[in-house]
Amino acid sequence: MEVIWHARGGQGAFTAARALGAAAALSGGLHALAFPTFGPERRGAPMRAYTKIAASPIGDRSALRQADVVAYLDETLFDDGWEAELKPGGIVLLNAPHPAADPRIVCVDADAISAEVLGRPIPNTVLLGAIAALSDVVTLEDVHEGIKATMSVRLQEANLRIADAAFKAVGGGGSARASQELDARVAAGARPVTVHDASEAARQNVTRTPYLRETFALPEDFARSTCFTGGHLVSENAGWRSVRPVLDETVCTLCLQCYLLCPDGTIFKVRDEEGNVERVAVDFAFCKGCGVCAKACPAGCIRMVPERKEARA
Amino acid sequence: MSVNARTMTDEEFFYGHKACPGCGGALAVRQALKVLGPYAVAALPAGCMSATGFNFPQMAFGVNAMITPFAATAAVLSGIEAGLRAQGGKPDGCTVVGFAGDGGTADIGLQALSGAIDRNDDILYVCYDNEAYMNTGIQKSGLTPFGAATTTTPAGAHEHGCLTQKKALFDIVCAHGIPYAATASIGHMPDFLRKMERARGIPGTRFIHVLAPCPVGWGFPAQDLVDVARKAVDTGLWYLAEYEGPAVSGVPGGAFKLNRAPKSFALVEPYLACQRRFAGLDAADVAAIEAARDERWELMRSRWIANGEGGA
Repeated sequence: MEVIWHARGGQGAFTAARALGAAAALSGGLHALAFPTFGPERRGAPMRAYTKIAASPIGDRSALRQADVVAYLDETLFDDGWEAELKPGGIVLLNAPHPAADPRIVCVDADAISAEVLGRPIPNTVLLGAIAALSDVVTLEDVHEGIKATMSVRLQEANLRIADAAFKAVGGGGSARASQELDARVAAGARPVTVHDASEAARQNVTRTPYLRETFALPEDFARSTCFTGGHLVSENAGWRSVRPVLDETVCTLCLQCYLLCPDGTIFKVRDEEGNVERVAVDFAFCKGCGVCAKACPAGCIRMVPERKEARA
Repeated sequence: MSVNARTMTDEEFFYGHKACPGCGGALAVRQALKVLGPYAVAALPAGCMSATGFNFPQMAFGVNAMITPFAATAAVLSGIEAGLRAQGGKPDGCTVVGFAGDGGTADIGLQALSGAIDRNDDILYVCYDNEAYMNTGIQKSGLTPFGAATTTTPAGAHEHGCLTQKKALFDIVCAHGIPYAATASIGHMPDFLRKMERARGIPGTRFIHVLAPCPVGWGFPAQDLVDVARKAVDTGLWYLAEYEGPAVSGVPGGAFKLNRAPKSFALVEPYLACQRRFAGLDAADVAAIEAARDERWELMRSRWIANGEGGA
């Protein structure tokens, strides 16, 4: 079984990836690998982690392009490309409060389940419990052992309870609604997730995740010179944001404190024809939603509004 | 005309970077470059700002900028400045500026910095101090303050965090007789902008040490960035000072100035309590932090105010 974890830095995806591997290897008697993608350590940025589980030792240490289970700890990371990452018969595990139309997508309200136990939403262990319910590879007992092996004693008890609650919510405990959903999924062609031989992946010619995603110049052009123009931006930071600043222009006194103190420089002056500052505005392609501007505003005219709610409105 | 929110250029020279939300270092670099303008040439060693500013093939810097070996920031600055002069291509208003973190300055790059000051090369060195090696995952540096938990100085039952005091980097730099040096905080932005502007106009080696809190490494919500930086100064745990060397001030040994010398400080506990890195401290630790602060201020008041122009 192979799992791709999509999450934001700080949500505990790598902890979950490792706990799942530990569950299979320490308790289930299988072989496992777990690793995150590497980059600058930063909170809130999209990241991936991988778990590989097999009956024989795993030699391929490269990132996965496709997996049996693709888990999203943050719904905002789920986009149109999801099917490409799914192996035939694979499933998506999505942290979302609402059901999905496609039977291959299993939605779990991981924020709510974890918040009930912890008092704040930490979705990682919920998805672990869900995987135990949906796969033949690890049992709930294995997941318990995995949690004990990888989490500090202080965190274990609450996380075991969360795993149990998640297991039940997804149908592991035999709840009527959940098993109906499961039946529908099987009828639609999904199969229970099982272990496969690591060499199978090699036969399928699994390739590495490309790291140059979108550029408006060809990589070979860059290779000719180590110098290129400053301000050469190819990717936006907007996907980082869970809240956005909303400015009430009727209250704004144009004191420019928000402009002065924005760590990203995404608040800019809008000038009229004579060059006078008319108002300030936010570049939402690069705003990370840190909230420094809202705190800095002496008039209190900047509110931080949840992204999802804003998108629905 | 002095640089402030109204008068500064609308252009951004550090934009689209991948720093964490609410990053103090990013704010310091952004505003420093806005003061220096489009002809600045920047060099950065390994650290948060190079890791988040140069994501090949992306370039978050709007000025010429390059990455240096970790220990070599000041040496590379010397080389850039000499190279620009030798090629005859150094434009007017061109400042060769380095941005290095606390580890890259006070530990790893100290030798190169000392050499550059010794030669009095015409460069500006900005140390953005987030008080640990944050880019690699929060390890203690020479500028980590006493009591702060990092991954290499974890808080436990016996020891509650970093065992050493913050290195007196400003004093070390001033002891060279550098033309201009200053400390600043991103919580006092007008003061920082003024010092950047002052540094821009002085020939020779200049050094600015700016406190730049890190929400992730210090453990506070990102939106509190500026408040935390202000509190550090209000409590007296950080100070705003300037030094002008003998050549600039005309005073033998140079002149110190405390830009803020309050009669009494804000309470230390609320500042410590708002950061997770100090969660392991007990009353004795807090008393030790206060005692070290008072000792430091006694030294600054007696030596600097007696010697220099006096505090404001």
